[in-house]
Amino acid sequence: MESYSVATDTAINETELVTRAQNGERNAFSELVRIHARGVMNVIHRMCGDEQIAEDAAQETFIRAWLNLSSYRPQTSLRNWLYRIAVNAATDMLRKEKRILPGDIEDLQLADERPGPESLVSQQERILLVQKAVLSLPDTSRAVLVLREYEGMSYHEIADSLDIPMGTVMSRLNYARKLLKEKLEAKLFVRMEVEHD
Amino acid sequence: MTNHVTDWLNAYFDGELTGKRLHQVEEHLAECKACQAELEALGNVSGLLHEVPLPDFPSPERFATQVNLLLPQKRTPAPGRQLFEVGWWMIPVGLLAVWVFISTAVLLSNVVSMAESFGLLDDTTASWISSPSDTADVTSTLGQFGMLEGNSLQWAETTENFTRGLFPQIVLHVSVALLYLAWIAVWWARQTHQVSEPLLEG
Repeated sequence: MESYSVATDTAINETELVTRAQNGERNAFSELVRIHARGVMNVIHRMCGDEQIAEDAAQETFIRAWLNLSSYRPQTSLRNWLYRIAVNAATDMLRKEKRILPGDIEDLQLADERPGPESLVSQQERILLVQKAVLSLPDTSRAVLVLREYEGMSYHEIADSLDIPMGTVMSRLNYARKLLKEKLEAKLFVRMEVEHD
Repeated sequence: MTNHVTDWLNAYFDGELTGKRLHQVEEHLAECKACQAELEALGNVSGLLHEVPLPDFPSPERFATQVNLLLPQKRTPAPGRQLFEVGWWMIPVGLLAVWVFISTAVLLSNVVSMAESFGLLDDTTASWISSPSDTADVTSTLGQFGMLEGNSLQWAETTENFTRGLFPQIVLHVSVALLYLAWIAVWWARQTHQVSEPLLEG
């Protein structure tokens, strides 16, 4: 009951901040930035895999939000609206900064021997592989995967955020996970093969 | 085992299924090793995704301050500015109204002229509506004094009729169209300026 009350208070506070920001109050908008900065930066970093690019794209996201705040409808979720702008900003940034697009995952050579604890090396390699595999997904599928896996959004919220039908959310998510499984199981010694009857 | 529930496994894994479909998938999973393995694979992929750490981003407070410094000046809703905006958008509306007025007046004038030429108007109405300047007065006067004759007189009468009747209409239409195009050009310039503004500041 207490958490519901806190959530309601937060929503009311956010609505008030949005109204004030829509009237041109920069401090109110800064407070909204502070509330949503972490989520936006996380989404963008998962989308592009580069810390500096993520920070730049997050700034671009909030500048776009500020300029288009009048088109935001307060009865919808501000977080979903911001994430849509964030995904678009990340995609634009990726197109501009082609240097961070990943090479073929097959090109990545795993080291057999490295100094330090074996488990640590193995984990670093795994992380690199997973990052490359995620970045090699099509933009549209990657966006759905990021919002589901990392932000824990429901299919309905993702559909609302990206302005796509629920069926498209499901098909893009299925496709993303299928591709990831195919890319990763060849490199990692994780048993993921399935044999149907 | 047939009728695998592969298409619904992602939704099941994400806790998105309810009711009959959820029951159907659960029943199938209880018996099908292949679908169980597929579900396990989804868990493995998800686990791998969550191994990727996030970098140390700046604190939300610091980031908010940075963004605040980068924010372009927004259109402040000052009363004078609002009036200007209203007036600005009234320009094309006014031009459209002028154009409609001119077109309607010309149309009505033509209808009345036709009605008059077919004798559909009685004398009182016709004399009330008809303009005394419809005729080529200047040319007639010059003709009476013998300054114009024959083809020259006819050509002068046609020219004067055109100048008095059709020419003002053409000038009005062209003026309205030019003003409208000028408004569109200024609007376009303003839009371009507004779009480039944040890029310059960024």
